Amino acid sequence: MSAPAARVHGDAVSHRYGSRVALQPLSFDFGGPGVVAVTGENGSGKSTLLRILAGLMRPTRGATSLEVGGVAVPPRERRHHVGLSTPELSFYEEFTAEENLRFAAETRGLPNVQPAVRDALEKTGLSSRAGDRVAEFSSGMKQRLRLGFAVLHRPAVLMLDEPGAHLDEEGKAVVERLVLAHSATGLVIVATNEPREIEVASHRIQLSGRGLDHPS
Amino acid sequence: MPATGSNSAAAVWTILRKECRSEWRTRYGLNAALLFAVASLTAVSFAAGRLSDRTDLLAALFWIVLLFATLASMSHAFVREVEGRTMLLMRLVASPTEIATGKLCFNLLFLLVVEAVTVPLFLVLTGAPPVRWGTFLAVLGLGTISLAASSTLVGAVIAQTRGRGALFAGVSLPLLLPVLAAAVAGTRDMWASNPVASSVRLLAAYAVALLSASLLLYDHLWED
Repeated sequence: MSAPAARVHGDAVSHRYGSRVALQPLSFDFGGPGVVAVTGENGSGKSTLLRILAGLMRPTRGATSLEVGGVAVPPRERRHHVGLSTPELSFYEEFTAEENLRFAAETRGLPNVQPAVRDALEKTGLSSRAGDRVAEFSSGMKQRLRLGFAVLHRPAVLMLDEPGAHLDEEGKAVVERLVLAHSATGLVIVATNEPREIEVASHRIQLSGRGLDHPS
Repeated sequence: MPATGSNSAAAVWTILRKECRSEWRTRYGLNAALLFAVASLTAVSFAAGRLSDRTDLLAALFWIVLLFATLASMSHAFVREVEGRTMLLMRLVASPTEIATGKLCFNLLFLLVVEAVTVPLFLVLTGAPPVRWGTFLAVLGLGTISLAASSTLVGAVIAQTRGRGALFAGVSLPLLLPVLAAAVAGTRDMWASNPVASSVRLLAAYAVALLSASLLLYDHLWED
Protein backbone atom coordinates (compact mmCIF):
# COMPACT_ATOMS: atom_id res chain seq x y z
CA MET A 1 0.00 0.00 0.00
CA SER A 2 1.59 3.31 -1.05
CA ALA A 3 1.55 6.56 0.91
CA PRO A 4 -0.58 9.36 -0.58
CA ALA A 5 1.05 12.49 -1.96
CA ALA A 6 1.93 14.93 0.78
CA ARG A 7 2.95 18.56 0.64
CA VAL A 8 4.39 20.64 3.47
CA HIS A 9 4.41 24.41 3.49
CA GLY A 10 5.88 26.90 5.94
CA ASP A 11 5.33 30.62 5.92
CA ALA A 12 7.82 32.66 8.00
CA VAL A 13 7.70 30.05 10.75
CA SER A 14 9.66 30.85 13.87
CA HIS A 15 9.62 29.77 17.48
CA ARG A 16 10.88 31.06 20.81
CA TYR A 17 11.06 29.43 24.21
CA GLY A 18 10.68 32.50 26.38
CA SER A 19 13.45 34.85 25.32
CA ARG A 20 15.46 32.13 23.59
CA VAL A 21 15.11 31.79 19.85
CA ALA A 22 14.54 28.13 19.02
CA LEU A 23 13.84 28.53 15.31
CA GLN A 24 14.73 31.50 13.14
CA PRO A 25 12.05 32.65 10.63
CA LEU A 26 11.85 30.10 7.85
CA SER A 27 9.72 29.63 4.74
CA PHE A 28 9.59 26.47 2.64
CA ASP A 29 7.40 24.46 0.34
CA PHE A 30 8.08 20.92 -0.73
CA GLY A 31 6.14 17.83 -1.60
CA GLY A 32 6.57 14.12 -1.93
CA PRO A 33 7.60 11.69 -3.07
CA GLY A 34 11.14 12.30 -1.96
CA VAL A 35 13.45 13.07 0.91
CA VAL A 36 14.02 16.45 2.54
CA ALA A 37 17.01 16.90 4.82
CA VAL A 38 16.79 19.49 7.58
CA THR A 39 20.30 20.42 8.64
CA GLY A 40 21.86 22.91 11.01
CA GLU A 41 24.05 23.07 14.04
CA ASN A 42 22.94 21.86 17.49
CA GLY A 43 20.26 24.15 18.85
CA SER A 44 19.34 25.57 15.45
CA GLY A 45 15.78 24.28 15.69
CA LYS A 46 15.70 21.02 13.71
CA SER A 47 13.70 19.14 16.33
CA THR A 48 11.49 22.16 16.97
CA LEU A 49 10.64 22.38 13.27
CA LEU A 50 9.69 18.71 13.17
CA ARG A 51 7.49 19.07 16.25
CA ILE A 52 5.74 22.03 14.68
CA LEU A 53 5.20 20.18 11.41
CA ALA A 54 3.88 17.15 13.30
CA GLY A 55 1.26 19.35 14.97
CA LEU A 56 2.70 18.87 18.46
CA MET A 57 3.34 22.55 19.02
CA ARG A 58 2.34 25.88 17.56
CA PRO A 59 4.99 28.19 16.17
CA THR A 60 5.36 31.54 17.93
CA ARG A 61 5.05 33.27 14.57
CA GLY A 62 4.12 32.17 11.07
CA ALA A 63 2.21 29.09 10.04
CA THR A 64 2.68 25.67 8.54
CA SER A 65 0.35 23.58 6.46
CA LEU A 66 0.25 19.92 5.56
CA GLU A 67 -1.71 18.60 2.60
CA VAL A 68 -2.30 14.92 2.12
CA GLY A 69 -3.89 13.81 -1.12
CA GLY A 70 -4.67 17.46 -1.85
CA VAL A 71 -6.59 17.92 1.41
CA ALA A 72 -5.33 20.29 4.13
CA VAL A 73 -4.75 18.56 7.45
CA PRO A 74 -5.20 20.74 10.57
CA PRO A 75 -2.44 20.45 13.19
CA ARG A 76 -4.59 18.41 15.58
CA GLU A 77 -5.21 15.77 12.94
CA ARG A 78 -1.63 15.54 11.68
CA ARG A 79 -0.74 12.65 13.98
CA HIS A 80 -2.87 10.42 11.71
CA HIS A 81 -0.67 11.23 8.70
CA VAL A 82 2.72 11.74 10.31
CA GLY A 83 5.12 9.10 11.55
CA LEU A 84 7.60 10.73 13.93
CA SER A 85 10.77 9.22 15.31
CA THR A 86 12.67 11.47 17.67
CA PRO A 87 15.14 10.92 20.51
CA GLU A 88 12.50 12.39 22.85
CA LEU A 89 10.18 9.48 22.13
CA SER A 90 10.16 6.88 24.90
CA PHE A 91 8.23 3.67 25.37
CA TYR A 92 6.65 1.91 28.32
CA GLU A 93 9.56 0.07 29.91
CA GLU A 94 7.32 -2.47 31.63
CA PHE A 95 5.88 -3.55 28.26
CA THR A 96 7.54 -5.56 25.53
CA ALA A 97 8.41 -4.04 22.16
CA GLU A 98 5.45 -5.84 20.62
CA GLU A 99 3.08 -4.64 23.34
CA ASN A 100 4.22 -1.05 22.87
CA LEU A 101 3.64 -1.19 19.13
CA ARG A 102 0.33 -3.02 19.56
CA PHE A 103 -0.81 -0.31 21.98
CA ALA A 104 0.12 2.36 19.42
CA ALA A 105 -1.58 0.49 16.58
CA GLU A 106 -4.79 -0.14 18.52
CA THR A 107 -4.99 3.42 19.80
CA ARG A 108 -4.46 4.71 16.27
CA GLY A 109 -7.34 2.50 15.18
CA LEU A 110 -5.42 0.46 12.62
CA PRO A 111 -7.64 -2.24 11.11
CA ASN A 112 -4.99 -4.97 10.98
CA VAL A 113 -3.05 -4.55 14.16
CA GLN A 114 -1.06 -7.76 14.31
CA PRO A 115 0.22 -7.68 10.70
CA ALA A 116 1.14 -4.01 11.08
CA VAL A 117 3.08 -4.68 14.29
CA ARG A 118 4.82 -7.72 12.81
CA ASP A 119 5.75 -5.72 9.70
CA ALA A 120 7.18 -2.83 11.75
CA LEU A 121 9.23 -5.23 13.88
CA GLU A 122 10.55 -7.03 10.80
CA LYS A 123 11.48 -3.80 9.02
CA THR A 124 13.52 -2.67 12.01
CA GLY A 125 15.10 -6.04 12.73
CA LEU A 126 13.44 -6.41 16.12
CA SER A 127 11.38 -9.55 15.46
CA SER A 128 13.61 -11.75 17.57
CA ARG A 129 13.33 -9.37 20.52
CA ALA A 130 9.62 -8.59 20.14
CA GLY A 131 8.77 -10.31 23.42
CA ASP A 132 11.45 -8.60 25.50
CA ARG A 133 10.58 -5.73 27.78
CA VAL A 134 11.79 -2.34 26.62
CA ALA A 135 13.57 -1.90 29.97
CA GLU A 136 16.02 -4.57 28.76
CA PHE A 137 16.69 -2.82 25.45
CA SER A 138 19.95 -1.09 24.55
CA SER A 139 19.79 2.49 23.28
CA GLY A 140 20.25 1.20 19.72
CA MET A 141 17.33 -1.18 20.05
CA LYS A 142 15.17 1.60 21.46
CA GLN A 143 16.09 3.69 18.44
CA ARG A 144 14.98 0.85 16.16
CA LEU A 145 11.72 0.68 18.08
CA ARG A 146 11.22 4.42 17.49
CA LEU A 147 11.66 3.80 13.77
CA GLY A 148 9.17 0.92 13.91
CA PHE A 149 6.71 3.16 15.74
CA ALA A 150 7.08 5.83 13.05
CA VAL A 151 6.34 3.51 10.12
CA LEU A 152 3.69 1.44 11.92
CA HIS A 153 0.67 3.17 10.35
CA ARG A 154 2.24 3.77 6.89
CA PRO A 155 2.09 7.55 7.26
CA ALA A 156 2.05 9.99 4.37
CA VAL A 157 4.94 11.89 5.95
CA LEU A 158 7.76 10.14 7.74
CA MET A 159 9.69 12.49 10.04
CA LEU A 160 12.97 11.20 11.38
CA ASP A 161 14.94 13.23 13.90
CA GLU A 162 18.56 12.05 14.10
CA PRO A 163 17.52 8.58 12.85
CA GLY A 164 21.03 7.14 12.96
CA ALA A 165 21.62 8.03 16.62
CA HIS A 166 22.84 5.06 18.70
CA LEU A 167 22.68 2.74 15.71
CA ASP A 168 25.37 0.37 14.50
CA GLU A 169 26.10 -0.17 10.79
CA GLU A 170 23.29 -2.68 10.45
CA GLY A 171 20.92 -0.25 12.16
CA LYS A 172 21.96 2.56 9.84
CA ALA A 173 21.25 0.26 6.91
CA VAL A 174 17.75 -0.25 8.36
CA VAL A 175 17.29 3.54 8.32
CA GLU A 176 18.43 3.73 4.71
CA ARG A 177 16.06 0.97 3.66
CA LEU A 178 13.14 2.63 5.46
CA VAL A 179 13.89 6.02 3.93
CA LEU A 180 14.30 4.63 0.43
CA ALA A 181 11.17 2.50 0.66
CA HIS A 182 9.02 5.29 2.04
CA SER A 183 10.34 8.03 -0.23
CA ALA A 184 9.37 6.06 -3.32
CA THR A 185 5.78 7.15 -2.80
CA GLY A 186 5.69 9.31 0.34
CA LEU A 187 7.53 12.24 1.84
CA VAL A 188 10.42 11.74 4.24
CA ILE A 189 11.81 14.60 6.33
CA VAL A 190 15.11 13.83 8.02
CA ALA A 191 16.63 16.14 10.63
CA THR A 192 20.29 15.29 10.63
CA ASN A 193 23.86 16.42 10.19
CA GLU A 194 25.08 12.99 9.05
CA PRO A 195 26.50 13.21 5.50
CA ARG A 196 25.29 9.68 4.76
CA GLU A 197 21.70 10.65 5.63
CA ILE A 198 21.89 14.00 3.85
CA GLU A 199 23.12 12.63 0.54
CA VAL A 200 19.91 10.67 -0.13
CA ALA A 201 17.86 13.87 0.14
CA SER A 202 16.45 15.55 -2.93
CA HIS A 203 15.84 18.80 -1.05
CA ARG A 204 17.61 20.43 1.86
CA ILE A 205 16.64 23.01 4.47
CA GLN A 206 19.66 24.56 6.13
CA LEU A 207 18.62 26.16 9.41
CA SER A 208 20.42 29.36 10.24
CA GLY A 209 19.86 29.15 13.98
CA ARG A 210 22.29 30.72 16.38
CA GLY A 211 23.24 27.37 17.87
CA LEU A 212 24.81 26.76 21.25
CA ASP A 213 27.43 29.51 21.04
CA HIS A 214 24.83 32.24 20.79
CA PRO A 215 21.88 31.12 22.89
CA SER A 216 19.88 34.35 22.64
CA MET B 1 -3.28 5.89 2.72
CA PRO B 2 -2.65 5.70 6.43
CA ALA B 3 -5.26 3.32 7.66
CA THR B 4 -5.97 5.11 10.90
CA GLY B 5 -9.45 5.13 12.28
CA SER B 6 -10.99 7.86 14.35
CA ASN B 7 -12.91 5.75 16.80
CA SER B 8 -12.47 7.65 20.03
CA ALA B 9 -14.25 5.02 22.12
CA ALA B 10 -11.81 2.38 20.91
CA ALA B 11 -8.85 4.64 21.67
CA VAL B 12 -10.16 5.32 25.18
CA TRP B 13 -10.71 1.59 25.73
CA THR B 14 -7.15 0.84 24.56
CA ILE B 15 -5.70 3.49 26.87
CA LEU B 16 -7.76 2.14 29.79
CA ARG B 17 -6.47 -1.39 29.14
CA LYS B 18 -2.91 -0.06 28.90
CA GLU B 19 -3.29 1.73 32.24
CA CYS B 20 -4.64 -1.42 33.90
CA ARG B 21 -1.85 -3.59 32.51
CA SER B 22 0.77 -1.04 33.54
CA GLU B 23 -0.68 -0.81 37.07
CA TRP B 24 -0.86 -4.59 37.31
CA ARG B 25 2.81 -4.94 36.36
CA THR B 26 4.23 -2.08 38.37
CA ARG B 27 1.72 -1.97 41.28
CA TYR B 28 2.59 1.71 41.30
CA GLY B 29 -0.51 3.00 43.04
CA LEU B 30 -2.73 0.15 44.15
CA ASN B 31 -0.46 -1.29 46.83
CA ALA B 32 0.19 2.13 48.34
CA ALA B 33 -3.51 3.03 48.32
CA LEU B 34 -4.58 -0.25 49.93
CA LEU B 35 -1.76 -0.04 52.46
CA PHE B 36 -2.84 3.45 53.47
CA ALA B 37 -6.51 2.48 53.72
CA VAL B 38 -5.92 -0.67 55.76
CA ALA B 39 -3.23 0.87 57.99
CA SER B 40 -5.19 4.03 58.79
CA LEU B 41 -8.43 2.16 59.49
CA THR B 42 -6.64 -0.34 61.70
CA ALA B 43 -4.88 2.44 63.60
CA VAL B 44 -8.15 4.32 64.13
CA SER B 45 -9.95 1.20 65.32
CA PHE B 46 -7.15 0.44 67.80
CA ALA B 47 -7.05 4.01 69.09
CA ALA B 48 -10.74 4.90 69.20
CA GLY B 49 -12.49 1.54 69.22
CA ARG B 50 -15.96 1.36 67.72
CA LEU B 51 -17.48 4.69 66.72
CA SER B 52 -21.07 3.64 66.05
CA ASP B 53 -22.54 6.61 67.93
CA ARG B 54 -20.36 9.23 66.19
CA THR B 55 -21.81 9.28 62.67
CA ASP B 56 -20.40 12.76 61.99
CA LEU B 57 -16.89 11.54 62.76
CA LEU B 58 -17.44 8.31 60.83
CA ALA B 59 -18.54 10.18 57.71
CA ALA B 60 -15.52 12.47 57.80
CA LEU B 61 -13.15 9.59 58.49
CA PHE B 62 -14.59 7.54 55.64
CA TRP B 63 -14.01 10.22 53.02
CA ILE B 64 -10.62 11.24 54.41
CA VAL B 65 -9.41 7.65 54.12
CA LEU B 66 -10.73 7.36 50.56
CA LEU B 67 -9.31 10.73 49.55
CA PHE B 68 -5.82 10.19 50.91
CA ALA B 69 -5.61 6.58 49.79
CA THR B 70 -6.34 7.40 46.18
CA LEU B 71 -5.51 11.02 45.46
CA ALA B 72 -1.74 10.70 45.11
CA SER B 73 -2.00 7.82 42.66
CA MET B 74 -4.78 9.36 40.61
CA SER B 75 -3.09 12.72 40.25
CA HIS B 76 0.09 10.93 39.14
CA ALA B 77 -1.60 9.29 36.16
CA PHE B 78 -0.26 12.02 33.89
CA VAL B 79 2.89 12.79 35.84
CA ARG B 80 4.04 9.21 35.28
CA GLU B 81 3.71 9.76 31.53
CA VAL B 82 5.76 12.95 31.73
CA GLU B 83 8.44 11.53 34.01
CA GLY B 84 8.64 8.31 32.00
CA ARG B 85 8.85 10.49 28.86
CA THR B 86 5.98 8.53 27.31
CA MET B 87 3.68 11.52 26.96
CA LEU B 88 4.96 12.14 23.44
CA LEU B 89 4.04 8.60 22.44
CA MET B 90 0.56 9.14 23.82
CA ARG B 91 0.15 12.45 22.02
CA LEU B 92 1.21 10.89 18.73
CA VAL B 93 -1.41 8.15 18.87
CA ALA B 94 -4.39 9.81 20.57
CA SER B 95 -6.05 13.17 21.05
CA PRO B 96 -5.79 14.92 24.43
CA THR B 97 -9.47 14.18 25.07
CA GLU B 98 -8.99 10.47 24.35
CA ILE B 99 -5.93 10.36 26.61
CA ALA B 100 -7.62 12.19 29.47
CA THR B 101 -10.84 10.19 29.16
CA GLY B 102 -8.85 6.95 29.24
CA LYS B 103 -7.08 8.17 32.37
CA LEU B 104 -10.39 9.23 33.92
CA CYS B 105 -11.87 5.78 33.31
CA PHE B 106 -8.80 4.21 34.90
CA ASN B 107 -9.04 6.51 37.92
CA LEU B 108 -12.70 5.56 38.32
CA LEU B 109 -11.82 1.89 38.17
CA PHE B 110 -8.94 2.44 40.58
CA LEU B 111 -11.26 4.12 43.08
CA LEU B 112 -13.80 1.31 42.75
CA VAL B 113 -11.15 -1.32 43.50
CA VAL B 114 -9.91 0.61 46.54
CA GLU B 115 -13.49 1.11 47.70
CA ALA B 116 -14.25 -2.60 47.29
CA VAL B 117 -11.64 -3.26 49.98
CA THR B 118 -12.03 -0.11 52.06
CA VAL B 119 -15.82 0.03 52.47
CA PRO B 120 -16.34 -3.43 54.05
CA LEU B 121 -13.22 -2.98 56.16
CA PHE B 122 -14.41 0.43 57.33
CA LEU B 123 -17.88 -0.84 58.24
CA VAL B 124 -16.45 -3.76 60.23
CA LEU B 125 -13.56 -2.01 62.00
CA THR B 126 -15.37 1.17 63.00
CA GLY B 127 -18.63 -0.47 63.98
CA ALA B 128 -20.58 1.90 61.75
CA PRO B 129 -24.39 1.82 62.04
CA PRO B 130 -26.34 -0.16 59.43
CA VAL B 131 -26.10 1.35 55.99
CA ARG B 132 -29.06 2.38 53.82
CA TRP B 133 -27.50 0.86 50.74
CA GLY B 134 -29.39 2.75 48.04
CA THR B 135 -28.58 6.13 49.56
CA PHE B 136 -25.06 5.13 50.51
CA LEU B 137 -24.24 3.88 47.00
CA ALA B 138 -25.69 7.05 45.45
CA VAL B 139 -23.49 9.27 47.62
CA LEU B 140 -20.48 6.99 47.19
CA GLY B 141 -20.95 6.72 43.41
CA LEU B 142 -21.34 10.44 42.82
CA GLY B 143 -18.51 11.26 45.20
CA THR B 144 -16.32 8.73 43.38
CA ILE B 145 -17.08 10.29 40.00
CA SER B 146 -16.35 13.79 41.31
CA LEU B 147 -13.11 12.72 42.98
CA ALA B 148 -11.90 10.94 39.85
CA ALA B 149 -12.92 13.79 37.55
CA SER B 150 -11.30 16.49 39.66
CA SER B 151 -8.03 14.59 40.22
CA THR B 152 -7.83 13.69 36.53
CA LEU B 153 -8.44 17.26 35.47
CA VAL B 154 -5.88 18.68 37.91
CA GLY B 155 -3.39 15.94 37.00
CA ALA B 156 -3.78 16.77 33.31
CA VAL B 157 -3.38 20.49 33.86
CA ILE B 158 -0.30 20.29 36.05
CA ALA B 159 1.43 17.40 34.30
CA GLN B 160 3.76 19.48 32.17
CA THR B 161 4.33 22.32 34.58
CA ARG B 162 7.25 23.00 36.85
CA GLY B 163 6.56 22.80 40.59
CA ARG B 164 3.84 20.23 40.06
CA GLY B 165 3.59 19.29 43.74
CA ALA B 166 2.83 22.77 45.01
CA LEU B 167 0.55 23.50 42.10
CA PHE B 168 -1.38 20.29 42.65
CA ALA B 169 -2.24 21.25 46.22
CA GLY B 170 -3.20 24.77 45.24
CA VAL B 171 -5.40 23.79 42.31
CA SER B 172 -6.93 20.71 43.95
CA LEU B 173 -8.15 22.32 47.14
CA PRO B 174 -10.93 24.50 45.69
CA LEU B 175 -12.05 21.66 43.43
CA LEU B 176 -12.11 19.03 46.16
CA LEU B 177 -13.69 20.99 49.00
CA PRO B 178 -17.24 21.04 47.54
CA VAL B 179 -17.02 17.30 46.80
CA LEU B 180 -15.83 16.48 50.29
CA ALA B 181 -18.34 18.76 51.99
CA ALA B 182 -21.31 17.30 50.11
CA ALA B 183 -20.08 13.70 50.37
CA VAL B 184 -19.41 13.93 54.10
CA ALA B 185 -22.78 15.62 54.71
CA GLY B 186 -24.61 13.03 52.61
CA THR B 187 -22.90 10.09 54.34
CA ARG B 188 -23.52 11.58 57.80
CA ASP B 189 -27.20 12.21 57.02
CA MET B 190 -27.56 8.70 55.64
CA TRP B 191 -26.39 7.24 58.97
CA ALA B 192 -28.47 9.74 60.96
CA SER B 193 -31.56 8.81 58.88
CA ASN B 194 -31.92 12.42 57.73
CA PRO B 195 -32.85 13.39 54.15
CA VAL B 196 -29.85 13.34 51.80
CA ALA B 197 -31.49 14.71 48.67
CA SER B 198 -29.74 18.07 48.82
CA SER B 199 -26.29 16.46 49.17
CA VAL B 200 -27.00 14.01 46.36
CA ARG B 201 -28.22 16.82 44.10
CA LEU B 202 -25.12 18.88 44.85
CA LEU B 203 -22.82 15.93 44.19
CA ALA B 204 -24.64 15.11 40.95
CA ALA B 205 -24.50 18.69 39.73
CA TYR B 206 -20.84 18.95 40.64
CA ALA B 207 -20.00 15.68 38.89
CA VAL B 208 -21.79 16.79 35.73
CA ALA B 209 -20.13 20.22 35.84
CA LEU B 210 -16.67 18.72 36.37
CA LEU B 211 -17.07 16.17 33.58
CA SER B 212 -18.42 18.80 31.17
CA ALA B 213 -15.66 21.28 31.97
CA SER B 214 -13.08 18.53 31.61
CA LEU B 215 -14.32 17.49 28.18
CA LEU B 216 -14.25 21.11 27.05
CA LEU B 217 -10.76 21.71 28.42
CA TYR B 218 -8.96 18.50 27.55
CA ASP B 219 -8.55 19.26 23.85
CA HIS B 220 -6.70 22.46 24.68
CA LEU B 221 -4.17 20.80 26.97
CA TRP B 222 -0.51 20.56 26.17
CA GLU B 223 -0.51 23.07 23.34
CA ASP B 224 3.00 24.53 23.56
